[in-house]
Amino acid sequence: MQQPTQPAPAVPAAKPKPPEPPPEFREGAIATMDAAGLLRILSDAKSSEFQKAKACVRLGELGAKEAIPVLAGLLGDEHLSVYARYGLEPMADPSADDALRAALTKQKGVRLIGVINSIGKRRDAKAIPALVKFMHGPDVDIARAAASALGSIGGEASAKELQAALPKTTGMTRAAVADACLVCSERLLAEGKRDQALAFYTALSATDLPKPVRLAAMSAIVREETLSVKPR
Amino acid sequence: MIVPSLVLGQRAGVTAPSDKITFGGIGIGSRGAHVLSKLLNVEQARFVAICDVRNARRETIKSTVDQKYGDHGCQMYSDQYELLARQDIDAVLIATGDRWHTPLSIIAAQHGKDVYCEKPCSMSIEESWALGAAFRRYNRLYQAGCQRRNGANFQLCKELLKSGALGKLQALYANVGPSVNWPPLPSRDWLAAEELPPKQVLDWDRWLGPAPWRPYHSSYVTGGWRNFYDFHGGGILEWGSHTVDLCHWAADYDDTQPVEYEPVGTNVGPYQVNCRYANGVKLVMRDNAWDGALKTGSCSFRIEGDKGWVETGDATKIECSDNIRPLLRPTEPASLALENHVKELVRCIRTRQSTSASATAAANSHVTCHAAFIAYQRGKTLTWDTTKHEFTNDEIANRMRSRALREPWRV
Repeated sequence: MQQPTQPAPAVPAAKPKPPEPPPEFREGAIATMDAAGLLRILSDAKSSEFQKAKACVRLGELGAKEAIPVLAGLLGDEHLSVYARYGLEPMADPSADDALRAALTKQKGVRLIGVINSIGKRRDAKAIPALVKFMHGPDVDIARAAASALGSIGGEASAKELQAALPKTTGMTRAAVADACLVCSERLLAEGKRDQALAFYTALSATDLPKPVRLAAMSAIVREETLSVKPR
Repeated sequence: MIVPSLVLGQRAGVTAPSDKITFGGIGIGSRGAHVLSKLLNVEQARFVAICDVRNARRETIKSTVDQKYGDHGCQMYSDQYELLARQDIDAVLIATGDRWHTPLSIIAAQHGKDVYCEKPCSMSIEESWALGAAFRRYNRLYQAGCQRRNGANFQLCKELLKSGALGKLQALYANVGPSVNWPPLPSRDWLAAEELPPKQVLDWDRWLGPAPWRPYHSSYVTGGWRNFYDFHGGGILEWGSHTVDLCHWAADYDDTQPVEYEPVGTNVGPYQVNCRYANGVKLVMRDNAWDGALKTGSCSFRIEGDKGWVETGDATKIECSDNIRPLLRPTEPASLALENHVKELVRCIRTRQSTSASATAAANSHVTCHAAFIAYQRGKTLTWDTTKHEFTNDEIANRMRSRALREPWRV
């Protein structure tokens, strides 16, 4: 049967030419530079913010551990901190964890939150004690970030601290703790610690927790109970 | 006052006095307005709030919505948390730039909202997995803006594969568009700094959101953000999120990814990425001109089996091998796909059935696109472990699986 055809959409009309990046904002040779060259950019006082930003990202892709101290030195920079974390987050070397942990005592405000987020992403269990203090601290945004990082790190130590924090925290912090508990429970399940995970989910079903969390916990219980032949 | 159906227990099967599914919108520009126009025509839905970092856009959407409903009920916000805190909103339409898609979707799920989110849905492999995990965790519904899954001509092609008419699946072809528009490798440059507009006109910090800092330029906020790496995944992600998604859907590959990615061609095009699934089936992402060689329209895809082939796209018509032609039937225009797609989400919110373009499906198709993008950046064939979610032959590629998010954002 012949298909009814509609006219094919026309080739998009030529758009006005987009603005060109100025020479000083072109990545150019930085894209293929080796670690030594990139480090020279970061240590040269004459290097621009743009050059440093690109060097950070490239160093992260290369995994150049010798760059870790220099990258850590940029964690407090208003514009470059995210680029420094771009460089640090994918580094396999544990000295990146050491540098980020050290930054917990140096950075404040939103820059500190960035550091905490990176620690969570790297799942650095050595940071748990410091993160617990932040979670119980007075700054709600920092407390939320710390709770989230603990959830990402997972494990029994994080689980214990998060569960203990549930009744002690309030408002937005408590919502973040509850979300982290859900993440932590998934990690416990993945590690085969089913009983602990189910106990966690049961605690998260309490009526004074935010409804989305309670529903998530109850859904997880139902899913687990119906998936597994093992009785609770 | 609009009473949320959730509160009234409609989802538990109780007939509710208010039967409307209430929506809010975040970041509604030109594409979002197109989706919104379909949503406003859905009788069972009601759009009640708009959030945007641009004052002019907030006003425009409010005006459109209020005109449609004949009242002044659409509320405006510049802070997404204020909108998401509203207990009377069931779901949100997210049509911001790509950089915001995953973080906002996850925040919405944490607030108990169902989500319709435009594509591309994520900026990295890491974000893709986080997206899928969050919607499973919160048991929320997610409809990626992959509306062709609800397009009749696309569905007929899938049906021909599933019925066995095409024989055993051999290869899938995803048109990744004209490289002249958005090449596979986006620019890592910055535009020259311009003077920042007043915050009440445009909140640049919030516009950037999780993307790395760079100086303001007006071009970014008027659609020119595409083709900049910090905001965009280039042609592979842009078009692959349309057509690789179709391939996965047609082949029932919504829970897997290819294990091999071979980049071919140059950044000025045409280019291609040849992929292979563990079962031997090929996925070819090809820069096949906007309209495709067979004039099947934009966003075309092709299925090849050992007994026949079919290809279709936004032109609605289906091209096929001679033996398949007797099995074709007229289909409704591809242009109706978006309306069907929006209606499907509303229907699923009411019934709590799964959507066709779930977060899990989006995660898998987007990981495929990101992996292909990374292979193209690396300029070498990459192999991928679908269990460990890592490349097996390139450590630099593994370090490119995630992007750092600007503080305070995280996924």
